[in-house]
Amino acid sequence: MKYLLRKVMLYVFIAWAALTMNFLIPRLMPGDPVALLVERLSGRIDPAAMDAIAESYGLTDAPLHVQYWDYLTSLAAGDLGLSIGFFPVPVSEIVLGALPWTIGLVGITTVISFLIGTGLGVVLAWRRGSWTDHLLPALTFLNAVPYFWMALILVLILSVNLGWFPVSHAYEPGLVPGWDWEFISSVLYHGILPAITIILASFAGWVLSMRNMTVTVLGEDYVTMAEAKGLPKRMVLVNYAARNAILPSVTGFALSLGAVVGGSMLTEVIFNYPGVGYTLFEAVQNQDFPLMQGLFLIISLAVIAANLVADVVYVFLDPRTRQEG
Amino acid sequence: MNLSRLVPASGKVRAGLIIAIFFVLMAVFGPMLTSYSPQASGTDLLQPPSGAHWLGTTQTGQDVFAQFVYGARVSLGVGLFAGIISQIVSVLVGVIGGYFRGLSDDLLYILTAVFLVVPGMPLLIVLTGYLPSRGMISVAFVIAITSWAGSARVLRAQTMSLRRREFVEAARATGESRTRIVFSEIMPNALPLIASGFLFSVIGAVLAEAGLSFLGLGSLTTTSWGSMLYFAQSAQAFLYGAWWWFVPPGLAIAVLGAGLALINFGIDEYSNPRLRTGKSRGRAVRTGGPQAAALSTAGAAAVASGVDSPGLASIPSEDGVNEVAGPEPSGSAAAAAQIRPIDVPGAPIIEVRNLKVDYPSIDQVVHAVDDVSITLHRGELLGLAGESGSGKSTLTNAITRLLRNPAQVTGGSITYHRAARARPGASSGADPGAAEAIDLLGLSSEELRGYRWDEIAIVFQSAMNALNAVTSVGAQFDDVLRVHRPTMPAREREALARTMLEKVGIDSDRVSAYPHELSGGMKQRVAIAIALVLEPDVIIMDEPTTALDLLIQREVLDQVMALRDEYGFAIIFTTHDLSLLLEVSDSIAVMQRGRLVEYGPALEVYAEPRHPYTQALLASLADMGALV
Repeated sequence: MKYLLRKVMLYVFIAWAALTMNFLIPRLMPGDPVALLVERLSGRIDPAAMDAIAESYGLTDAPLHVQYWDYLTSLAAGDLGLSIGFFPVPVSEIVLGALPWTIGLVGITTVISFLIGTGLGVVLAWRRGSWTDHLLPALTFLNAVPYFWMALILVLILSVNLGWFPVSHAYEPGLVPGWDWEFISSVLYHGILPAITIILASFAGWVLSMRNMTVTVLGEDYVTMAEAKGLPKRMVLVNYAARNAILPSVTGFALSLGAVVGGSMLTEVIFNYPGVGYTLFEAVQNQDFPLMQGLFLIISLAVIAANLVADVVYVFLDPRTRQEG
Repeated sequence: MNLSRLVPASGKVRAGLIIAIFFVLMAVFGPMLTSYSPQASGTDLLQPPSGAHWLGTTQTGQDVFAQFVYGARVSLGVGLFAGIISQIVSVLVGVIGGYFRGLSDDLLYILTAVFLVVPGMPLLIVLTGYLPSRGMISVAFVIAITSWAGSARVLRAQTMSLRRREFVEAARATGESRTRIVFSEIMPNALPLIASGFLFSVIGAVLAEAGLSFLGLGSLTTTSWGSMLYFAQSAQAFLYGAWWWFVPPGLAIAVLGAGLALINFGIDEYSNPRLRTGKSRGRAVRTGGPQAAALSTAGAAAVASGVDSPGLASIPSEDGVNEVAGPEPSGSAAAAAQIRPIDVPGAPIIEVRNLKVDYPSIDQVVHAVDDVSITLHRGELLGLAGESGSGKSTLTNAITRLLRNPAQVTGGSITYHRAARARPGASSGADPGAAEAIDLLGLSSEELRGYRWDEIAIVFQSAMNALNAVTSVGAQFDDVLRVHRPTMPAREREALARTMLEKVGIDSDRVSAYPHELSGGMKQRVAIAIALVLEPDVIIMDEPTTALDLLIQREVLDQVMALRDEYGFAIIFTTHDLSLLLEVSDSIAVMQRGRLVEYGPALEVYAEPRHPYTQALLASLADMGALV
């Protein structure tokens, strides 16, 4: 368990680094963006809001370490400050409102896309040398398509031309959110097109990396030995080849997850999907710095948590990490 | 390095290069093709493509083609600029951390981990959100800051493995300075990784710029592919079906990204030959010129002998015999094969007749096994000697039907005489004692599965690689038994695995151990125990002791001999260690360049070697004092 403990410590450190980055970025950016903002806003908004901004951005005379301590203690209390764009709504409230939509959409599609991608990658590796190799350039192309452009094309074809799916929003405007069938079915219906976009734009990456890993593993002696044992093909492929080839995919989850999260955020913007990505976009447009920071923090923490989960899964998949000492 | 080697061999790489060069040319010269300014609005609003406007116009009458080619400059420029900065940071962090180790490495590792895990796009958005003025240069800088980590991690791992290689150790021993070692020894060898990291950085940066500009966070006064999409989106171009406005920039990004990734395929295949697909494997020989052809022949020979290519561990041969199986044996080595009758008590079990295995390529055919005939009898230990690349592993792989592409059996036959044993699932009613002759090369894959391990088992050269690292020892016994003895209950299967472990001198409780918990010698014993679990009639041992140190070698060998006395299986034992074979074998076959050069009873071969090659090998052993 030493391995896992080290990982947990590393992630705790990364989380702390993200918190600190969040604290330092507005204070250290060149050109003093906060002062410019305050200057621009003064007189236009509530003086109470001005005070709140001034305080949360260190436009006080307190030294940096005192500000940092204040920042950490208010974070610990779940206080992310007040939104400027939606003053005086607390940032934490807006973040919590947006989070379920993103976790629902991005979480589910990431898992689906990982499963489809890895499965297909193993199949393509097994059938290398046959016509399926010609799929590789197509998959490479698909992997390079920007998420938001994929979304635009799908909207053009499936929504505007064919009228199969709604163009935007997470549910029919006017419906009251609740656990009734009308609302849930509307959510599902509105979610299909964004989900297809994210899956289409992200699964090819998993396919390519899993195929390459499996092809490499197929040349290993243990796979040859499994074949020599007279095991059925499926068993050789799943228990020996894929079982080993998936390990780097799980380790590389961090890398890919970042890309998927980033791409999904742009997808949300196109569909006006009320998740974290869209909210962040709005916050940036309104120069709503407290909201921007709160969202960045929550996204970072979510990705860090997802990585920790991937590492726990890795410990189950690879007995070598369970070694003591 | 001659010029012909610079021409990419793989079709994928060529396509990728053509795409990349096309876009670069378009960015450089494209703006000269249009008289419109990208920002100037006109009177033709939202027009589809026409002679006047090749890609139509925007809502304000701007020429889309002009925007497209000017945008290419910005998008490619940002991509290249950010890619270069990001790669410089990766190389510094990765190589310095990996080479110098210690505290600086720990700190850099943690720093890398932070930037790797904290998601790039949100960080990018926040950073640009705070930027007071967003020029393309500052956007590129921010992109570079958020994207270096992945490549740095890969480079660190590579550097750590490189610094332990002999040539780096040697450079250190001769007192070269650290900077010199890093720049002249480490960097050139990490070059494929740096190149592929750079390509990915460029793709990433082009995508990131597009994403940012699309969100309106780029420099909106500069036309880039991303800002074109931003204006298209905010004018709701897709609702009007104005595809000419938003299809070209996105398509260009995707095609450019695919092109760079295709080039990267080539780099991957260069550093990992297993990834090559059939076509590029063939072309590598044809277009590479004589030098490359010779290289790939060596590769094929390495595959033939089952040695990992870079290994090609050759034993020094006194007469300077080339270890690579050439297209045809040259005159001096073509002395007639010396075959003497074998006289052992058992009936024949495997008969190989005039077997030919070829590795075809476009220019030439490598005869890895050339007209070889041998006979293995029941209970016999046949020693198969020869250097790496002599074709001995190709021969045993033909017998076990484990030849890999592109190896082909082009002639001859392999007959297996299967004893009629009372065994569940085996054809019953046959006359006991009579053997059934099976044409091994003609078996369907389903028939082959039944015969594998039940009749012929294999002990591989290195149990390190032959055991599955992620499942327990017990599981690796269990799947064989589940498949070949479907009626055996789980409890009996486990009991059998335990018994087999004890037979090779391993505590039966180790059945639940994982391979990494066992020593090298124990792993090889486990591999032997797994080979014995179905009580096969033949075991093929492919240099089973080469990877072990001398003392362990001896123990494992004694164990094998004792088990052979108990079970009575026949063994084909391949090795390049002739002295070992002389000691244990009943008969010896010596191979050179795919041909059988000497074959006969072990004692006779030792006492009176007839082929010059065998004589040379024995003489060199005598010089070393191995034969007393």
